[in-house]
Amino acid sequence: MKKVININFQGTVVPIEESSYELLKQYIESLRRYFANEEGKDEIINDIESRISELFQERLKNGSTCITDDDVNAIIKNMGRPEDFEEEEKGEPTENNKSDNSKKERTESLFNENWSWKGKRLYRDDNHKILGGVCSGIAAYLGIDPVIVRIVFIISGIGFLAYILLWIFVPGSNMLENGVRKRLYRNPDEKIIGGVCSGIGSYFNINPWIPRVLFLIPFISFFFRWGHFGPLTFPHFVSFSFSPGTFIIYIILWLVIPEATTTSEKLEMKGEKVDLNSIKNSVMKEMKEVGERVGKLGAQAGEIAKERGPVIGQEIHIAAKKSSGVLGNIIVTIFKVFIYFILGTIALALIIALFALAIVAIGLFPLKNFVLTEGWQSVFAWGTLIFFIGVPVVGIITFIIRRIARIKTSNKLMRYSFSGLWILGIVCFVSLITSMGRDFRSSSSMNTEPIILINPHVKTLEVAPFLNNNYNRSNNWFRLEPFATFGIEDDTAYISNVRIRIEKSTTDSFQVNIMKTCNGRTRRYADTLAALINFNVSQNDSILMMDRAIAINTTDKFRNQYVEITIGVPVGHHIKINKSFSNRMNVRFNAFGEGDNWDWNNDDDNDFDYKYGIEYVMKEDGLYTLDGIPSNEESDWNKSSTQDNKYNEGSGNDQNYRYNGSNKIDSLKNIQEKQIQKMQAAVDSLKAAREKEVIRMKDSLEKAKEEIDHKIEKLDKGTAIHSESFSPNSNENYSFIMNI
Amino acid sequence: MNIDNTASQMRKGVLEFCILSIIKLGEAYPSDIIDMMKSANLNILEGTLYPLLTRLKNAEFLTYRWVESNSGPPRKYFSLTEKGAEFYKELEATWLELASAVETITGKKEINQ
Repeated sequence: MKKVININFQGTVVPIEESSYELLKQYIESLRRYFANEEGKDEIINDIESRISELFQERLKNGSTCITDDDVNAIIKNMGRPEDFEEEEKGEPTENNKSDNSKKERTESLFNENWSWKGKRLYRDDNHKILGGVCSGIAAYLGIDPVIVRIVFIISGIGFLAYILLWIFVPGSNMLENGVRKRLYRNPDEKIIGGVCSGIGSYFNINPWIPRVLFLIPFISFFFRWGHFGPLTFPHFVSFSFSPGTFIIYIILWLVIPEATTTSEKLEMKGEKVDLNSIKNSVMKEMKEVGERVGKLGAQAGEIAKERGPVIGQEIHIAAKKSSGVLGNIIVTIFKVFIYFILGTIALALIIALFALAIVAIGLFPLKNFVLTEGWQSVFAWGTLIFFIGVPVVGIITFIIRRIARIKTSNKLMRYSFSGLWILGIVCFVSLITSMGRDFRSSSSMNTEPIILINPHVKTLEVAPFLNNNYNRSNNWFRLEPFATFGIEDDTAYISNVRIRIEKSTTDSFQVNIMKTCNGRTRRYADTLAALINFNVSQNDSILMMDRAIAINTTDKFRNQYVEITIGVPVGHHIKINKSFSNRMNVRFNAFGEGDNWDWNNDDDNDFDYKYGIEYVMKEDGLYTLDGIPSNEESDWNKSSTQDNKYNEGSGNDQNYRYNGSNKIDSLKNIQEKQIQKMQAAVDSLKAAREKEVIRMKDSLEKAKEEIDHKIEKLDKGTAIHSESFSPNSNENYSFIMNI
Repeated sequence: MNIDNTASQMRKGVLEFCILSIIKLGEAYPSDIIDMMKSANLNILEGTLYPLLTRLKNAEFLTYRWVESNSGPPRKYFSLTEKGAEFYKELEATWLELASAVETITGKKEINQ
């Protein structure tokens, strides 16, 4: 049972089933589209409708009560569907052999197959112009999309002048037909941000991810640079800068390239033939989508849309898209960009950290033998490198490649094996750390030994390095304190973990003390190792020669060996540090127990502390340069309590106190005054401290005296008091303690 | 290349000629024309015919008049104009030339006869 409606068709009332009416409507629509550009199309369609009406009348007269689907279908078959019409054959260029209706060409395709070559001359296109039609004309001449020409104009900055010249000199034409079939649009259906890359991908027939990657890569430019980063010195080839250039290009493209909204535009974007068939297909497809979407809006709205037919449907489709929130779209897009940006940055940072770690590991490779003991540690180290660091690196590279090539298969096996290997890597890493930590756990006792000087009474001592050692120039591009090695020969490495202290001597001759220390698994182990440290110091007249670094070999591994040399300079004597100690040497020179200064190993000169190559003279209160500038002006002094405060005695060598020019006098005077004040304060406090000490000692002495008297009394009383011997020097105890 | 394309190309060439010749016989309306073509084994679709007629009318080779009918809507009856008659003569001449040329060539037995 079907619903029947009455239609007014060509002046007569025709009863027709509703579904048949739909069929009829569609057919006539298709005809309308087919003849859209035909001159006299209204007449043609009218004629055809007339004919159909006639046929209807025939049927009704023959006894049918209404027109059914069968009737309509038969009639359509008779008349023929537009694609069967013979006038325009597809694919063959037709000659206008009959009438001079030049618009015939337009019937078949909206965009002409025929190029009006016009002898291939350059014209401006007056029909498709934005400013002067220059770009359109060029595009028609070359056969590409005018949008591209415009973009090229803007980007290459050919300039306004060129444009205007072309505008003036190139003739305009009304008849230019752009034979281009493929136009550059943005693709709104497959967009991530703005559909720019999708559109580009469609136009050039490449995967849209390729332009996306191309846009992203210049964002992050890698470059090499030597950089200092506190104690670490390594090349910054993971520093990245964001170049805004590509970003701007993207935005320009986003604005300039039009979005493909209508069906024909979308077809053009993909380069498909825009003809009735393809339009019909895509319209049908879109209408299906609309149907679904409209269904959600509500049954009534759906009915209306269906009643009104596909034309309205198309309009709603476009409206729905637009009304789904232009504002919402923008906000969502901005949000998406933001989130992608942050996630991308985080992911990138992680990746880069991982790569950096890998590089560190590789850089440390030559030192491997010196740090790791054989056996388990070695295994752990390899395991860490391969699994902990290598696996994620490989995994990430694979992931990137797959994304680019759009391989969608997610291989579970791969995922599990990667994760498993990585966990194994973590295990290796942890065991490596604990194992290494154990090796460094104890430090040796810090014993100081004096070094016998041949001639401790020289006037000047110069500290110079042994020059016979064959230190290769370090070719490590990776230096890690205190490992700033000079280079590694096969089984020997050099560690510049040496510090030289310059103090005032307690006697009136030079004193040199050396202290070696290192770490080890146990204290005894450490002590043994410390004793094995190979560091030579010897005096040669007025030169104190010493090694520049500690040599370690693969048997005694690196265990943070550290050597400290204390040079006591007697008052009035000079000391000088040879220039060859500077730069890569990292031998530190301290005075009076100052703390570590990491800044010391900078290559730039310091404005205080020791300058290499300059002679210093030791005075009562410290080292001064020969110009009278104290060597450690900026730091507070730690007066050691051993220092006597014969402060104002005045040094015996005034003739060394030279002033270098009158303009220094004032500053020197100020400096001096400040120091005097400091000295005063220090002296006072020390005096007070000494007083206290003295008093305390007196008290304790008194007490001790009392105690002893007390005891003597007791003894005298004859009581045998078993006094415990508190002496900690019983040998048994001592060695017991030391052997832990 | 397939036969359908070539065949339809050939047909297209002669369609106008045939239609004009039918109309030359007397006033005709589209349905009639189609029937006559059918009887001569030259099938043509209405959707092809109507545009063609309209074009010929626009080129002033044909004219029409409306005839009321009791069974249905009014019909267009087409007839040749003078211009149309001249055009027809030229077409006829062209056709005869063509036909004889084709006959001659296809009748040859060997090359360079």
